[in-house]
Amino acid sequence: MSASDLWSIVPELWLAGLAIFLLLVDLLTARKSLVGVVAVMGLLLSIIPIGSLLTQGARTVIFGSYAVDGFAVFFKILTVIATALVVLAAIDWLPGRSQYEGEFYALLVFTALGLVLMAASTDIILLALSIEFVSLTSYVLAGYLKGDVKSNEAGVKYFLYGAAASAVMLFGFSILYGLTGSTNLYEIARRVANAPLPALYLSIALMLSGFGFKISMVPFHQWTPDVYEGAPTPVAAYLSVASKAAGFAALVRMLMVVVDPGRLNWILLIAVLSAVSMTLGNLLALPQRNIKRMLAYSSISHAGFLLIGVAAFRGDFGTPGLLIYLLGYMFTQLGAFFVAALIGQQLGTDDIPDYAGLSRRAPVSALLMAVFMLSLTGFPPTSVFIGKFYVLAGAIDNGLLWLAIVGVVNSVISLYYYAGVIRAMYVMPAASTVPLREPAALQVALGIAGLGTLLIGLYPQPIIDLARSAVLLLRI
Amino acid sequence: MLSLIIFLPLLGGLIILFLPKTSERAMKQIALICSTASLVFSLLAVTQFRLGGGMQFQERYSWIPSIAVNYHLGVDGLSLPLIVLTAVLSVLSVIYSWRMDVRLKEYLFLFLLLETGMLGVFAALDFFLFYIFWEVTLVPMYFLIGIWGGPRREYAAIKFFLYTLVGSLAMLLAILILYFNAEPHTFSMLELIRQQPLADAPLLAALAFWGFFLSFAIKVPMWPFHTWLPDAHVEAPTAGSVILAGILLKMGTYGFVRVSLPMLPGTFKAYAFFIAVLALLGIVYGALVAMAQTDLKKLVAYSSVNHMGYVMLGIAAAAGAVGDPSKAAAAATALNGAVFEMIAHGIITGGLFFIVGVLYDYRAHTRGVDEFGGLGARLPVYSGITTLAMLASLGLPGLMGFVAEFLVFLGSFGVFPYLTAVAVTGVVFTAAMFLWTIQRIFLGPLNPRWATLADMDAREKLTLVPLAVLMVIFGLYPKPLLDLINAAMSGLVTALR
Amino acid sequence: MIPVPYYLTISAVLFTVGMAGVLVRRNALVIFMAIELMLNSVNLTFVAFARQLAAIEGQVAVFFVIVIAAVEVVVGLAIIIAIFRARSTVDIDDVDLLRG
Repeated sequence: MSASDLWSIVPELWLAGLAIFLLLVDLLTARKSLVGVVAVMGLLLSIIPIGSLLTQGARTVIFGSYAVDGFAVFFKILTVIATALVVLAAIDWLPGRSQYEGEFYALLVFTALGLVLMAASTDIILLALSIEFVSLTSYVLAGYLKGDVKSNEAGVKYFLYGAAASAVMLFGFSILYGLTGSTNLYEIARRVANAPLPALYLSIALMLSGFGFKISMVPFHQWTPDVYEGAPTPVAAYLSVASKAAGFAALVRMLMVVVDPGRLNWILLIAVLSAVSMTLGNLLALPQRNIKRMLAYSSISHAGFLLIGVAAFRGDFGTPGLLIYLLGYMFTQLGAFFVAALIGQQLGTDDIPDYAGLSRRAPVSALLMAVFMLSLTGFPPTSVFIGKFYVLAGAIDNGLLWLAIVGVVNSVISLYYYAGVIRAMYVMPAASTVPLREPAALQVALGIAGLGTLLIGLYPQPIIDLARSAVLLLRI
Repeated sequence: MLSLIIFLPLLGGLIILFLPKTSERAMKQIALICSTASLVFSLLAVTQFRLGGGMQFQERYSWIPSIAVNYHLGVDGLSLPLIVLTAVLSVLSVIYSWRMDVRLKEYLFLFLLLETGMLGVFAALDFFLFYIFWEVTLVPMYFLIGIWGGPRREYAAIKFFLYTLVGSLAMLLAILILYFNAEPHTFSMLELIRQQPLADAPLLAALAFWGFFLSFAIKVPMWPFHTWLPDAHVEAPTAGSVILAGILLKMGTYGFVRVSLPMLPGTFKAYAFFIAVLALLGIVYGALVAMAQTDLKKLVAYSSVNHMGYVMLGIAAAAGAVGDPSKAAAAATALNGAVFEMIAHGIITGGLFFIVGVLYDYRAHTRGVDEFGGLGARLPVYSGITTLAMLASLGLPGLMGFVAEFLVFLGSFGVFPYLTAVAVTGVVFTAAMFLWTIQRIFLGPLNPRWATLADMDAREKLTLVPLAVLMVIFGLYPKPLLDLINAAMSGLVTALR
Repeated sequence: MIPVPYYLTISAVLFTVGMAGVLVRRNALVIFMAIELMLNSVNLTFVAFARQLAAIEGQVAVFFVIVIAAVEVVVGLAIIIAIFRARSTVDIDDVDLLRG
């Protein structure tokens, strides 16, 4: 380890420092929204050291346990943007619900640090630690509203599920270590060729439970609706994009670096899991009335869609498609949750029928929500369309036409419940015509989410370039 | 030029979005100005169009280079008339909607967005762009039906939305299959036509063909995919019905001629007879069911199923003649007829939906055919135009519908003689249906309920008279339009021989 | 000396017992203990393999897993206490506000 190693992890050090600094600021000021503003500024500033990594070549630092490559940088950018947006939304949402505001922002930034570590770990010990780090802060965030029984319940369910899943995953890690005698992913990849196949299968299957939990893939998805519904809305938004993205990062790195599909056919396994996740998530989303539950089930279905990108990893479409999808989905899903947060705050309800007449009461938010719903369905020109286009193209390019067809059928099914939200907002008569207050910071966060959704949809070229270079470096 | 035609309406829509809610007059004026400007430019394009010049007014800019997507526009004798038709019907719809007062801002914005989408579909020469425009048309139509529709609007709107989304996603897969089999990978429609990437891969070609087929057939709609159409038509507001019947249905048939026929000719030929049979079923079924309707709007809707059957028969006949030089002349005639029928049906059925709207929206508030009677004496202008449009629709010589149907039958007879013979009987049913309708509404004793009904006002005349004039002009002198169409279609048939 | 496979068998048994506990028991605290059991089976596996392969990483991993377990106790017990205060029960079948 050398000093240059430290330079390579400046973004991580910055995030850790920022989180600690936030705790200090929280001690010193009575105006808690200031902590949030400082958090947003600090997160935005971290883009500078992250951006400076873009120009450097791919390498591993700290005894080969930590990757500094385009793939990691992509997820750093994604995590930082998502965290900044969520903090921004929470500034307007949190006051009056919890007396511990400053700690909330600090915890979010700590979680961001964990997510960044997760996406870049190339050593199973570090990977396990960062996954646990993210989980632990997430449990606290999910149960953050101490006085709210639903939030308590979300916390305890998330905790019990998550702890069990990560224990299973750790058991998988220990078997992988036993098969290869190393904890470094690249070293494992070299030695795994001699490992007995059944044991390898077992260890991969056990590990999948940990990753599957993070990305809410069927059959490790049951926590998702309960936690999204009960957790504070900004936290649910955060879990559904940032945590999911980092889970995918770890999963992709693990599968692509370690396991040769020629030896262990995980492509079919992932493809089947993808099809099942898409379908089950969608079918369960259909009868939902609560917007957060609906978004939870739809996020299961999107996890299935994203898995197409994992299964179709050969060629220029699958893996870059996964990254593009994740980034596009981040903006759209965050936006949808922010509207849900706004309505939850102003009307005190999360039921979709209560959105009736929103187009009159909060025209801008309603319009944006309509855009988000159409984007989640996959209508062009929006960001999720580009993502879906890419992963479907990847599936066809990889000869997984059946999976593409399953995806298409699911897109049609999903239209039904997404259109239900639009129907409530635009078609159903308003119960009241009093205009809703639209708080400033939440509006800014919403605007950025909307802008991101549309811009990526209209001009995806820069994102595509970024995603392609990220994946290129991963394969070395 | 084409970009201007396509995006002027959207520009107007965006301006309207930022106007205060109270300035309704300004909104309407902007909508009218923008759609009229679009029409003027499209007519300008017609005057500058060179017959036999292939794709013209091409615009091509790199958009997403990493997957070879270009912003590529262009028109030929097939798309140009459809663009003009779109512009005409849009302007007339804006005029007709002048009295709209419910949520005007959203209405005009969605309407103009819809116009941009439709114009874009007809002008796009890059599949990615084509797909985006195709999808863009769905969303405003959903809102138009869902917000401003009739009593069962929510059901009709979501049904329309789901049906057409199934189709467009199937198309997306088909597009991707073509893309990955072309070398180099490309979304350019012209390049794909030149390459014929699936000529040697019959299985993939069949998959791609059925993907496109599902999408276009739902849009047309062909029997048995037509069930969304009566619901959507009946519930949609008048202008929505006009656009739906006049333009959106044409997107399906346009797709068959622009995509399926030139890109997958061999596959299309293999299934041509089957598709012709479906078209025939549509013709007969549409006419018979229309006859049984008492709701005027439903009647016109089913007559659309019937007429689009003629279009599909013509296209299927042309596909059946692929690779057979002896039938090339018949194929060209059938295709000319099919495309002419698209335009004719747009003008005539668009007019008929306006006519229904004139009676229903502002006067009688009922569409039951049997509830009227003797309106002929009471509303002379209205009756005259209605009769003219219905006669044109049933194919009376001297009016636009006749030319189209005649050409379709003439051409198809050379390829599928027996099917065509059966199809001609459809004309008899259509004639019976429309004549009977005319009789029930306009002749006989005047129902006293309607004694105070007023004839059409100036704005309604402004909407309907141009369409009536077009029906007569192109009925008596179809040559300019036919030449335009023929320039493109004969080129296509030559390429397929 | 006891051969390594024996240790592995024991750890597999421990893991299975823990897993069964998680799936079967309804008391949040007992589930939590079962998870601890699973973590300890992980430890045993790591140590056994480290011994067999004469590689130090396995023993290092064990320390981290112990830390993880400890931190989970801190966070987990806090959450369970929070819900116990609100509901006076830690039976997860009674914690059922969120469903649908």
